[in-house]
Amino acid sequence: MTLRQILILLAVAACILLLLPGLGRYSAYIVYVVAIASIGALALNLLIGYCGQISFAHGGLLGVGAYAAGNFGNAGQDMVVALAGAGFVTALISVMIGLPALRLRGLYFAIATLAAQFILEYLFRLLEPLTHGVSGLLIEPAPFLGFGVSTDRGYAAVSIILLVLSLIGVSRLLRTDLGRRFILIRDSEMVARGMGINVARTKFWAFAISGFLAGIAGGLLAFTTRIAAPEAFEIALSVDYVAMIIVGGLGSLPGAVIGAFFVVLLPEVVQRLGEYFNAATQTSAIREMIFGLLIILFMIYEPRGLNSLASRLWRRWRGAGTKPAKTPSGAMDLRPSSEPAE
Amino acid sequence: MFTLQLVIAGVAVGSVYALIALGIVLIYKCSGVVNFAQGGYAMLGAFFTYALAQAGLHPALGLLIAVVLMGAVGALTQILILRPMLKAPVVAVMMVTLGILITFRAVCLFIWGPDQLAFPQLFPAGVIELGGIFMTYNYIAAVLLSSVLCAAFLAFYRYTPLGLMQRCTADNTRAALAIGIDVSRQVTIAWVASAMLAGLGGALLASLNGLSVNLSNIGLVAFPVIVLGGMTSLVGAVVGGVVLGVLQALTDGMLTPAIERVLREYTEIYSVGALQQVIPYALLVLVLLVRPQGIFGTRESERV
Repeated sequence: MTLRQILILLAVAACILLLLPGLGRYSAYIVYVVAIASIGALALNLLIGYCGQISFAHGGLLGVGAYAAGNFGNAGQDMVVALAGAGFVTALISVMIGLPALRLRGLYFAIATLAAQFILEYLFRLLEPLTHGVSGLLIEPAPFLGFGVSTDRGYAAVSIILLVLSLIGVSRLLRTDLGRRFILIRDSEMVARGMGINVARTKFWAFAISGFLAGIAGGLLAFTTRIAAPEAFEIALSVDYVAMIIVGGLGSLPGAVIGAFFVVLLPEVVQRLGEYFNAATQTSAIREMIFGLLIILFMIYEPRGLNSLASRLWRRWRGAGTKPAKTPSGAMDLRPSSEPAE
Repeated sequence: MFTLQLVIAGVAVGSVYALIALGIVLIYKCSGVVNFAQGGYAMLGAFFTYALAQAGLHPALGLLIAVVLMGAVGALTQILILRPMLKAPVVAVMMVTLGILITFRAVCLFIWGPDQLAFPQLFPAGVIELGGIFMTYNYIAAVLLSSVLCAAFLAFYRYTPLGLMQRCTADNTRAALAIGIDVSRQVTIAWVASAMLAGLGGALLASLNGLSVNLSNIGLVAFPVIVLGGMTSLVGAVVGGVVLGVLQALTDGMLTPAIERVLREYTEIYSVGALQQVIPYALLVLVLLVRPQGIFGTRESERV
């Protein structure tokens, strides 16, 4: 992210913050739901889109963050402390999930994270002293740096600020040595090893940082919904997040936000449509159906995501449409998956 | 005796796991696609059988027609969805199969609702007692049918010309193309076979445990099975399935009560919940860490 882009981002965020007092409760709700999902998607995109480690355990990680933040908050901590604590706890769990990545690659690792997801789901139900089992952990509202923020607008402001911080943080990170090592490991682990990069240590940091951000997103989720229950952090949530970053664009920072917007708003839109057409009884099935079909269509026609589509349209509009669009810098190198074995 | 009873129940369920896992391995070998939707096909096969039986057909005939229908569904998914995605990244392909799973689930939820349905009797009700061990006809039929099918399928893969072409495609796509094998047709055939196996497995499982949308979760249980057996080994999938089935049954029947007894003694936790559902995944992580290529799999080499 260049300085100019950061300034634009700050300006947009400032505009949203200034507009917040004028927004209704529902709009504020949409703002914070999308912002929280964006932080989560950003965390996952760092792992999958930039470091190439496919993970289906992200829903579970958000859950870890939610329970951790909830427990810290209920113990009377400030929201900032609770979120930071949740970040560290989740980073720890994330690194543990990442351990198999030291030996496994690609598909096998993805399946290992699937296993981690199910084990986490099980632990959420089992560890009753920390999670209150199936009934869920109720979470008291906590102040943010001493300010009471337990309204929809307050949550929206907090989420937007944290999203902006995470976006700037991740974009800075990608410019450091560590960030470039992530990208090299994604492109070819063997080359990275050949260049003397400590692959294990680099992956460790990828999981730790991604886990930290996921923990913050999960913690915000917990404070805004006031409850952390196991059924909220099941495999379906993991799938949602993977969908977000693919729909938005792998290895793209704006893509994470675009994808979050898309996946979070889709159910809302279908809900409204269902109410409009008096078909509210079957909405959950219809919503799932539309979600599934959209994922399929998306993967077939635009596997590089909305961000790449947008930049292609932008180029065409600028008159460069005759040339095929280049992949945006930092975007994932899309090698064919079914390349015949050599 | 109790242990033996558990083992037999485990083998019955495990042999169905094997059927479903076979399909995943088949597709993966042939096209490198990991089909997360396999459980969706199993569920769809069971619902088709249910619907045909509701329409007045004999359940066995319904099952037969349902399996044929599933073949068509498999072919359609491959041609309409997977074929255009040849050049997409691995994550996108994984995601599209998840999309298929979500869609199938939603369609079944829309038509048949979320409740558990009484699955029609595929086999006559009755119990055999053999030296103090009780077996219902259902279990015996499930074991027999799945083992015969697995054996027939492995033989087909090994000894027929079509099986040879399948193996060739799986082994080396480029070489297969070079000697004139229509690779994309072979992949379609793999999908057809895989969907049929899954559909049949789903119907058998529904006849053991009842039918609901949650049957589709079986596809995710199949992953520990194939990782245990090695992603690329058909025999491994069968062995892995049976091992896992038995392990689950033993966990449910013996390990869970034992652990709960200890926990109640020393902690405040009263129940360990569905431990048998987590055991496969714990085992999976262990296997992946110790022997990433599985028990029967071969290690793939990588080039820059």
